[in-house]
Amino acid sequence: MNLVVLPVLLPALTGLFALLILRPSPVRRTLVGISGGLQVALACTLVGLTYTQGPMKVELGDWPAPFGIVLYIDVLAAIMIAIGAVISWACMLYGFFELPTRVTHPLRLPLVQFLMMGINLALVTADLFNLFVAFEVMLLASYALITLEADDWNIKEAFPYLSVNLFSSMLFLAGAGFAYGMFGSLNFADIAQQAELMADDPRVGALGILLLVVFGIKAGIFPLYFWLPNSYPILPAPLAALYAGMLTKVGVYVILRLFGTLLPHEFSGLHLVVAWMGGLTMVLGVLGAVSRGFIRGILSFHILSQIGYMILAIGFFTPFSIAAVIFYNIHNNIVKASLFLVGGTATVLNRTDTLARMGNLWVATPALGIIFLCQALSLAGLPPFSGFWGKLMIVLEGLNLGSGPGGWQFFVLTGLALFTGILTLFSMLKIWLTTFWVRDESIEVHREDRRWKGMTAVVGGMCLLSLTIGFGAQFFIKLSFEASRQLLDKAAYIEFILGPS
Amino acid sequence: MMFETAILVGILFGFAVWLILQSSFVKILFGFILLSNAANLAMLSSSGSPSGRSAPVVLDGIAVTAMADPLPQALVLTAIVIGFGVLSYLVVLLYRIFLDQKTTNAAELFDESRSQEGGPEQ
Repeated sequence: MNLVVLPVLLPALTGLFALLILRPSPVRRTLVGISGGLQVALACTLVGLTYTQGPMKVELGDWPAPFGIVLYIDVLAAIMIAIGAVISWACMLYGFFELPTRVTHPLRLPLVQFLMMGINLALVTADLFNLFVAFEVMLLASYALITLEADDWNIKEAFPYLSVNLFSSMLFLAGAGFAYGMFGSLNFADIAQQAELMADDPRVGALGILLLVVFGIKAGIFPLYFWLPNSYPILPAPLAALYAGMLTKVGVYVILRLFGTLLPHEFSGLHLVVAWMGGLTMVLGVLGAVSRGFIRGILSFHILSQIGYMILAIGFFTPFSIAAVIFYNIHNNIVKASLFLVGGTATVLNRTDTLARMGNLWVATPALGIIFLCQALSLAGLPPFSGFWGKLMIVLEGLNLGSGPGGWQFFVLTGLALFTGILTLFSMLKIWLTTFWVRDESIEVHREDRRWKGMTAVVGGMCLLSLTIGFGAQFFIKLSFEASRQLLDKAAYIEFILGPS
Repeated sequence: MMFETAILVGILFGFAVWLILQSSFVKILFGFILLSNAANLAMLSSSGSPSGRSAPVVLDGIAVTAMADPLPQALVLTAIVIGFGVLSYLVVLLYRIFLDQKTTNAAELFDESRSQEGGPEQ
């Protein structure tokens, strides 16, 4: 059962090993690359085990719950770990092709491993204070990475990133204190059990809203997203892909846990607020994307609008819509990360990522164009790509809820979701037309720079994975439904952690 | 006792937010230090009023319920260390921004009309 600790331990040991023992060299790259592969294999094993045999837990130090810290993995956590492992591996390999050993910052590799350690700890923990510590580990690594390679001008964008996240961390700490004062426990199962009996108590709702604000800042929900679209573009392409694909999605995961596990399920008023926040995030994010003129800026705003879809579906709060969120997460993280990587490759070829000065890429490399087109259409939600199934599930559930009481709100929200899809397609086509399709003799394509071949190969792998999700959607949707069932089955969760009462 | 603590936490949070919203780097920094302390105090106060309760050392003849709750004290130690680490990072970041951008004023830092030389291509 100690498999549960490995997703945290493996990146931690790799990071320490890479930081303390090895000098930056091809040997270090190979070893860390192998460790990345092992993390993917481990995560896939965990998905298989939790899907077939149910959730797993380990009580640290053998202290029984609710007194000790419990680590817990169900299908949802395992899926997120797997996505994280795949994305961090791909970003690492991409980074290897992008820059030779002597140019890369020596701290980048260890810091990415520490970032993954924090993310994985946040995914597996079943204790509120431990979650706070995991968030801090994750955020400290991310602060370091965002300033590591920023130049003198861009460094200022790290300041809002740091201060907004520091503010939300402090709110989180105060929230954990309130939770302990109210329930006398920090264990998720214990809190869930007691909160269930106190569903009418306004303090439970207040705690829920406080934690929603905290995790909403991390995930970038309207009106708490303003720090995100300017700070992500200062990252180098592979790191931006990792942040976009994984770091912000941890916020979504924790919101799922908050509403699925911690809080009573009867908070339909709060759920509706969440749905509206999601709807507004969607629309404002995509409008921001339409207004931007450089690839990383456009994609950073798209992170927001895609997060909006997930938050919208969390707000619907039915077993079907939670499964939709989980499937959307699987699809979107891969697609988002690979779009950032395609953008990075295009930047290497054109030596800029300002749309006005890009072009000719379709002639130079049709393969990259096809990869971009697959991922962009998937992001916009066109069949048969993976994004279509996720959007279809969300829209179906919205229409389904629309026929119930207070249905007009759900119709409006579903309409917003479809409208956002069209605008997403529009801004993706803007990138497509100006970078790939346009022929302009004055624009140079630096094909002689050999790096783009390896980079395109990595992105091609991501694209194949994304196509697999799209064409093998049945398997992934089944996985999502099992994850949703395990997340929402609170009685089983409490019994599994605390033992039979 | 708990009521006074609650008021103190509220005042600390209020002042901290007011300071963070100023534009001078030093004020922002002090705002975050206050904020960190406010959150730590909120955490610590969740152990309940300590008056009339003994230290959490198990001796014969003292009921466990008559002891102060040690867990928030342990948690707050962790939180102080983490807060200190992040705050020192903030100090260094602000210093680097001062060196690179020659300003200690956040409003000036993000002023769109400043020269964009060497700026990001937008």
